[in-house]
Amino acid sequence: MTAQTAPVTRPIPAPPSSPAMRRRRRKPNVFRSLSRVLIVLIVIVQVYPLAWLFLTSLRNEHDFATGDPFALPSSISFDNYARAFQTGNLGQNILNSFIVTMGANLLIVLLGMMAAYALQVLGFRFSKFVRGLFLIGIIVPVQIALVPLFIDYSSINLLDTYQSMIIPLAGFALPMSIYLFSSFFEYIPRETYEAASLDGAGPYRIFGLITLPLSTNTVVTVVLVNSIFIWNDFIFANTFVLSEGLKTIPLGLQNYIGAMGKVDWTATFAAVCITITPLLLVFLVLNKAMIQGLESGATKG
Amino acid sequence: MLPNRSRLSVLVFLLPPLLLYGVAVLFPILQSLFLSFFSWNGISDMEFVGFANYVHMLTGDGVFWRSFFNALGYLAICLVLQLGGALFVASLLTSLRRGRELVKTLYLLPAVISTVAIAFLFVRIYSIDPVGLLNQVLGWIGLGSLERPWLSDVNTVLAAVSAPEGWRFTGLYMLIIYAALLAVPQELEEAARLDGANRWQLFTKIRFPHIRPVWITTTIMATTYGLRGFDIPYLMTNGGPGQSSELLTTYMYKTAFTSTDFGYASTISVFIVIECLVAVGFILLMLKRKADA
Repeated sequence: MTAQTAPVTRPIPAPPSSPAMRRRRRKPNVFRSLSRVLIVLIVIVQVYPLAWLFLTSLRNEHDFATGDPFALPSSISFDNYARAFQTGNLGQNILNSFIVTMGANLLIVLLGMMAAYALQVLGFRFSKFVRGLFLIGIIVPVQIALVPLFIDYSSINLLDTYQSMIIPLAGFALPMSIYLFSSFFEYIPRETYEAASLDGAGPYRIFGLITLPLSTNTVVTVVLVNSIFIWNDFIFANTFVLSEGLKTIPLGLQNYIGAMGKVDWTATFAAVCITITPLLLVFLVLNKAMIQGLESGATKG
Repeated sequence: MLPNRSRLSVLVFLLPPLLLYGVAVLFPILQSLFLSFFSWNGISDMEFVGFANYVHMLTGDGVFWRSFFNALGYLAICLVLQLGGALFVASLLTSLRRGRELVKTLYLLPAVISTVAIAFLFVRIYSIDPVGLLNQVLGWIGLGSLERPWLSDVNTVLAAVSAPEGWRFTGLYMLIIYAALLAVPQELEEAARLDGANRWQLFTKIRFPHIRPVWITTTIMATTYGLRGFDIPYLMTNGGPGQSSELLTTYMYKTAFTSTDFGYASTISVFIVIECLVAVGFILLMLKRKADA
C-alpha cells in the first residue's frame, strides 16, 4: 500500500516548492525558540545557586534568618566580609594554595614535557609499555595513594609539608600532561629536528631551542586545566596536612565552616565567596583559553 | 626518532618523570596491594593474614556492600545528570544562533568552585530551617508536602549528595560534546534533511554515530570520576545518617584514618581500583558491540 502511494505523493511537493519550503522553515523556528527558552531556564538553574551565594553574603543576619531566600537583600552590607577576614585565616590559606598550585604546575609542565619528548621525539624500544604505565594513572582513582603515601610520609617525616601535597597532585596529573604534550609534539614537523640534527644539535639543545619555545600554547593549556583541580584539591590536603600554617583554601574554608557555620551564617557565606573569587576571576578573564584547554584536554584524553 | 640521540639522553628525559610518577602513583598501588594482605593499625607489628581481609570484605561486611550499592546509585545519578544533561544541552545549544559563548561560560562556572564551597552551598540549599532554595521552590509550586530535610531523610540523602557532583561537572561534559557536535559535517546533515529525515532521525542516525568516539571518552571519564567521588558526600553528610550515603571511598577513608585499620582500608582501595578497571573495560566492550551491530 505505502509502496503504491509513495510515487503518487512524491512528485507533488516538488514543483510548487514554495509552500513546502515555508513550512519547513517555520517549523525550525518554533523549535528554535523553544530551545532558546529551555536553555535560558537551564542556565538559570545552573547559575542561580552561585548568584544566591553572593547575594546571601551581602545580607545581614536578621534578613537571612527571617526572609525569603529568593528575595534580594533588604540592605547591602559588607560587614560579613570584614568578619570573615577577621575570624578566618584566609589570607594565609590563599598564599598556601598559591604555593602548592605553582609547585605542582611546575612539576607537571616540566616533567610532562620531558616525558613526552622522550616518548614522542626521541623514541625508544619500550615506549609503548611506558605509555601504558602512564595510562594507569588516568584510570586509577587517587584514593589508592592515600594510605601508602601517609605511611611513607610519616616514615620520612614528610607529613605536614607543602611537598606532601605537591607530589601526589603532580603525579596524578602527569599522565594527562604527557598526553597533551605528546599530541602537540606530533605536529612539529620531523624535518625541523632533522635539520637541527644535521647542524650538529644534540637532543638537549633541540629540546631547549626548538621543542620548549614552540610549546607555549600547550603549556598554557596544561597549567590552566590543572590549576582548577589543584587549587581546589581537598582530599590530599585533608589527609596530609595538620598544621594551621600550611592549610590551603579548601581546608581553611572547611575549618571556617566548622567553627562559624552554625554561629555566623552570613559571614560564612562571605568566607565561601572570598575563597571562590580568585579562581572565578581567573576563569572569567581567561575563559576562552580555559574552555579551549578543557576541550582539548578531554577530547584527546 | 632523532638521528643522534643517545641512550643516555632518553634516560635523562624519561627518568625524572618516571620517578615522580612511580613515587606518587605506581608504588602506592603496589603498596596497597601488599598492605591488603596484612592486618595493621600503623603502630603495632604488621601481621600477615593472607586473604582474610578479602574474605571478610566480600562475605562478612554489611557496610561494605551497603557502600558498594550506594556508590553504584551515586554513579548512576551522576551519569544521568552529567552525560544526559550534557548531551541534551549541547544539542540545544547547536540550534542557538547567538550567545553560545555566554552559555558555555556560565554553564561551566560550577566546575571552578571547590568541593568544600559546593558542599556548603548545597547544605544550605537543602536546608529546612532557615528554609533553603529547594524547599522554598517546592512550597511555591504547590508541592509543599515534599518539603523535608533532604540530608537527614534516609530515602533522599543519596540522591541529595549525588546531585551536586552532577551539577558541578555537567558543564565540562557539555563543552566536550558540544565541540564534537560542531565537528559533524554540515553537508551530511544537509543531505539527510533533504532526504526527509526528522530531527530525531538526524540525531540518532547522523549526529550520534559521528560523536561516538567522544561519547566513549566522556562516558569513561564520567564513570571513573563518579566511582572516585568522595569530597561532596564526605563533606555534606560524612556517609550518614547511618550508612545511607556511605560510598566505598568514604568508607575506605574512615577505615584508614578514623579506625586506623590500614590493612583493611587497602583491601577496599584495591577493590575500588579493580572496580574502575572493570567499569572501563565494560564500557569499551559494550560500546564496541553496539558499534558492530
